[in-house]
Amino acid sequence: MNDSPLSVQVAFHIGPVPVTTIVVTTWFVMAGLTLAAVLLTRRLRFVAGSVQTVLELIVITVDAQIEGTMQRDPAPYRVLVGTLFLFILAANWTSLVPHIEPPTAHLETDAALAFVVFVATIYHGIRVNGPLGYLKTFAEPSWVMIPLNLIEQITRTFSLMVRLFGNVMSGVFVIGIVLSLAGLLVPIPLMALDLLTGAVQAYIFAVLATVFIGAAVGEGNGAARLPESGKDIRKETD
Amino acid sequence: MEFDWWTFFFEVVNIGVLLWLLARFLFRPVARIIDERKAETARVLEDAGKARKAADEAEAEARAERDRIHAERVDLLENARAEAEAQKKDLLMKARRQADEVVGKVRAAAEQAAEEEREQRIRRASELSVAITRRLMDSLPADARIDGYAERLVEALAALGADERAAVLAAGEDLRLVAPRELSKAELAAVTKKIASAVPHDGQLPVEVDPSLIAGLELRSRHGVVHNSLAADLGRVAEALASDEQA
Repeated sequence: MNDSPLSVQVAFHIGPVPVTTIVVTTWFVMAGLTLAAVLLTRRLRFVAGSVQTVLELIVITVDAQIEGTMQRDPAPYRVLVGTLFLFILAANWTSLVPHIEPPTAHLETDAALAFVVFVATIYHGIRVNGPLGYLKTFAEPSWVMIPLNLIEQITRTFSLMVRLFGNVMSGVFVIGIVLSLAGLLVPIPLMALDLLTGAVQAYIFAVLATVFIGAAVGEGNGAARLPESGKDIRKETD
Repeated sequence: MEFDWWTFFFEVVNIGVLLWLLARFLFRPVARIIDERKAETARVLEDAGKARKAADEAEAEARAERDRIHAERVDLLENARAEAEAQKKDLLMKARRQADEVVGKVRAAAEQAAEEEREQRIRRASELSVAITRRLMDSLPADARIDGYAERLVEALAALGADERAAVLAAGEDLRLVAPRELSKAELAAVTKKIASAVPHDGQLPVEVDPSLIAGLELRSRHGVVHNSLAADLGRVAEALASDEQA
């Protein structure tokens, strides 16, 4: 572990481009997820086995979450929301591996995730409403709200990034401090708590991404709404 | 705290790549199999619905066919019952008719037998009376077979209708006098004299002997007979008795 968890370590260089350990860890996470996906979906059958049932349960749950939030066909948003959830979950849980820092404990990864959500929000808003229709959403409920809505676009993306970063980074911080003070076994309950926090944060990030996209595409179909569980979670985390 | 833009850039690219990878290897295959299963389930449900509808229709048809067969069976039974009833009536009628015929035949046979018995009894009685009379006449004088019958012959001729009498008497040569025995010349002359008024004839009437008369004198020709004998009387008596008994 670094002296400061906020600093990044360069693993190697590709020419003049430094490749940090965060990126390398992300590659491992990506490789693990992809390998698992390839292996688990290699023999999909009409009559599902136990593993396939779990995969289908994940997809169905993601679809239900999207549909419940956006009141729309979940297919166009399934990949983004599902990938965000699985990646953040896997990245958060890499904290269990010794000498590995979760990529989400660094601002660059969280910023990248928030940036992707920001771009996806604009993309889906324009795809569904058209460019003008999407721009009109900024003048709702009144043109007076245009500056606030523009600021909201930035701030909520920023909050998305900071929320994930703060929660994961704090967990890593706490475990590092406790580990340095109390030895080997004491951090285990905190690490278990960190697992829960990581899962919750992955869920929150995915749900908020869904809500933001839903708000962007929700014109004419009613505003997107938070799922019942999502409301409480956002209040607590905000 | 520093922000590494290269890391940010790499992470954005990584997330993009991961989106593609998971879309390619996880979400699309799983979503496809779910959709296929949903479609298959919908198709199976639809097929099941069609099969159920077909089964319902088949059941309705079977029920209608069963009702039709039942109605047909009832009709057949009713027709068979009616036909059996008709045949029964016909058979009973035929049997009754045959029984009536048999009874009628038996009754006719019985009546015929009774009639034959009666006739035979009368015939025997008649034969007996003839035999008795013949015996009695044998014990009487020979004149008793002739006396008095000439006058009765004239009365019998008078009792006939004019046409009958003319027909009998018109026989000419064939007309003959019938007696139960040979007549003596005196007897023949006396008889001829007595009947001369009623029987006009040239010369002597030919005489024929017929012992079956027992007693009496008769006139016979090819056209008829004037009965005037004890045998004829006995016959008439027998017929009268038979008529009385039959009545």
